[in-house]
Amino acid sequence: MSTTSASPPIVGAHESAIRVRLRRMGETAGRVLSNPTTLGGLVIILLMVGMALLAPWLVEPNTPNASQMPRDWGAIAVPPGSPGHPLGTTNTGGDVLYGVIWGARTSLRLSLIVVSVTVAIGVAVGSLAGFRGGRIDEVLMRIVDVFLSIPELIFALAIAAVLGPSFRNIILALAIVFWVKYARIMRAQVLHVKQNDYVDSSRVIGDSNWNIFRKDVLPNSITPVVVQATLDMGNIVLVGATLSFIGLAEAGLAEWGVLVSEGQAGISGGRWWASTFPGLMVFLWALAFNLLGDGIRDVLDPKTETR
Amino acid sequence: MQIRDYILRRLIVLPFLIVGVSIIVFGLTRIGGSPVAIYLSHEMSSEEVAEIEARYHLDEPVPVQYAYWARGVFEGDLGWSGVAAAPVTAVFPNKLAATMELAVASAVVAVSLGIGLGTFAGARRNKLPDHITRIISISGAAMPLFWFAIVMLIVFWVYLGWFPIGRSTPEIFASIAHPTGLYTVDSLLAGNFTAFRDSVWHLVLPALTLGYGATAIIARMMRSSLVEELQEEYVDAARAKGLAERLVLRRHARRNALMPTVTVIGLSFGFLLQGTIVAEIIFRWPGLGRWMADSVLRGDRATIMAYVLFTSVLFLVVNLVVDVVYAYLDRRVVLGS
Repeated sequence: MSTTSASPPIVGAHESAIRVRLRRMGETAGRVLSNPTTLGGLVIILLMVGMALLAPWLVEPNTPNASQMPRDWGAIAVPPGSPGHPLGTTNTGGDVLYGVIWGARTSLRLSLIVVSVTVAIGVAVGSLAGFRGGRIDEVLMRIVDVFLSIPELIFALAIAAVLGPSFRNIILALAIVFWVKYARIMRAQVLHVKQNDYVDSSRVIGDSNWNIFRKDVLPNSITPVVVQATLDMGNIVLVGATLSFIGLAEAGLAEWGVLVSEGQAGISGGRWWASTFPGLMVFLWALAFNLLGDGIRDVLDPKTETR
Repeated sequence: MQIRDYILRRLIVLPFLIVGVSIIVFGLTRIGGSPVAIYLSHEMSSEEVAEIEARYHLDEPVPVQYAYWARGVFEGDLGWSGVAAAPVTAVFPNKLAATMELAVASAVVAVSLGIGLGTFAGARRNKLPDHITRIISISGAAMPLFWFAIVMLIVFWVYLGWFPIGRSTPEIFASIAHPTGLYTVDSLLAGNFTAFRDSVWHLVLPALTLGYGATAIIARMMRSSLVEELQEEYVDAARAKGLAERLVLRRHARRNALMPTVTVIGLSFGFLLQGTIVAEIIFRWPGLGRWMADSVLRGDRATIMAYVLFTSVLFLVVNLVVDVVYAYLDRRVVLGS
């Protein structure tokens, strides 16, 4: 994604549409990454994602289920730097390093699933409401209003509680709560873009509704959704970890919130490490996506500086 | 549009939103099937089951069940809390008082610290205080409260031993009457200084911790709107007439910069409200949030329903108030909508 590509910039009729688009994306990426804090965010993200993908090679997976914490009953609550446990263990012999590394995998899975599902639902609902307007718009937006009336964390907590404690239900609960924002953002964008002359021109030449939406409206509306999705990659891990900290994930899952909760039992005895390291990971994860999201917004969508 | 019409329209929409929320809350409890299962045991005959169903109207169609439930809520019947082993309405006021005490203290921290930091940074753009404030405000949005609270506990409770956990020292708490349920107010009413000190001492750490996220949001907004205001011509005019920089800041720029900050203060209230759940778990604060967390883990649906309904209504009302205040402060909002 470097901007200093060796090939000279090609302008003119020979250049295919795809190449134009690729070149523009490269330029945008270059502008986004020219900001050092944004770049810092991206570096942290790459490290975290690398850790998540390489987890089986970094720490030997627990058998039979790698997402369950291994228990070393011979080394309970040992401090960081102990042999075999570089980050120490919890009160029940859980290896903190294992939780930190495999927790990255859990978080990556959580955020990717929830973001893709919520973006898909939100974009579909928002587009339908904005593009069609009228009664459909009215009904959909009233539903959105009601959903937005319940504070996010409390809503997700209640849903996950009713579904029963499991990590799968946390994913489901977050998906039910987080699509709403995208619907609202997308609707506003579509309403705005719809008024442009090029949309009218397409209508005049007799393009179908679907084609107008696909070629003119969608590509020009998606930017704020991309920004929000980047921010949510971080927020979702934050809220998800909070839910599992409260106790809604399976006990012993290799997940950061679960591990912080497990480590909480030891802090009055001065055993600070079991909560500190996994919590720090949640913080860095959310921070990195916040930095990247803000950076993308500054370049692509400078009007809306703050949320 | 007139401000009055705007407020009126918002007020008309409010009950509909509340009904919408109540439908969602009611619907939630039906996800896992009929709630009759809570009352059942293996020895019951089918006649006994039917009798229980009839007693709680669970044999009626779902919309009728909703109507019964909504009427109950309206009449102040929120059901039985298994966790508290008492009717929800009997336990609610005391827990609410504990939560409100914490939330208000955090809000005071967040608003004063946020506006202070934001002003300090905005007036010293791109200097050290500005950079420090930026780090605080960026990290605030990403800070997992459950982790931050534990780190604060490790530092200030375990290692330094400066602050206690819990809401009170039990013997001192028991030594005074509690007419309001707010420990700080009750101790002042009793004229008991030891109890007052005890209440404040217990409040400091959780309030600072819970207020951090909101402080960050407010400071960020205050800073950016102050920077914007300081570039306006009226500021130049004030300077040109020889007004001291301190007064330019205090009398002119800060006043205008406060306007957009009001909206984020409203936003940060939601932040605080949600944060009480985690803060109360970690600081062992006997409020609504901890009750909710216990209820969530033990499937106490009556409490979950009451909590979600109550916090949502509170959230809606606060947002409405904030919007109205903002509309008064800045008439353009109303004209633009």
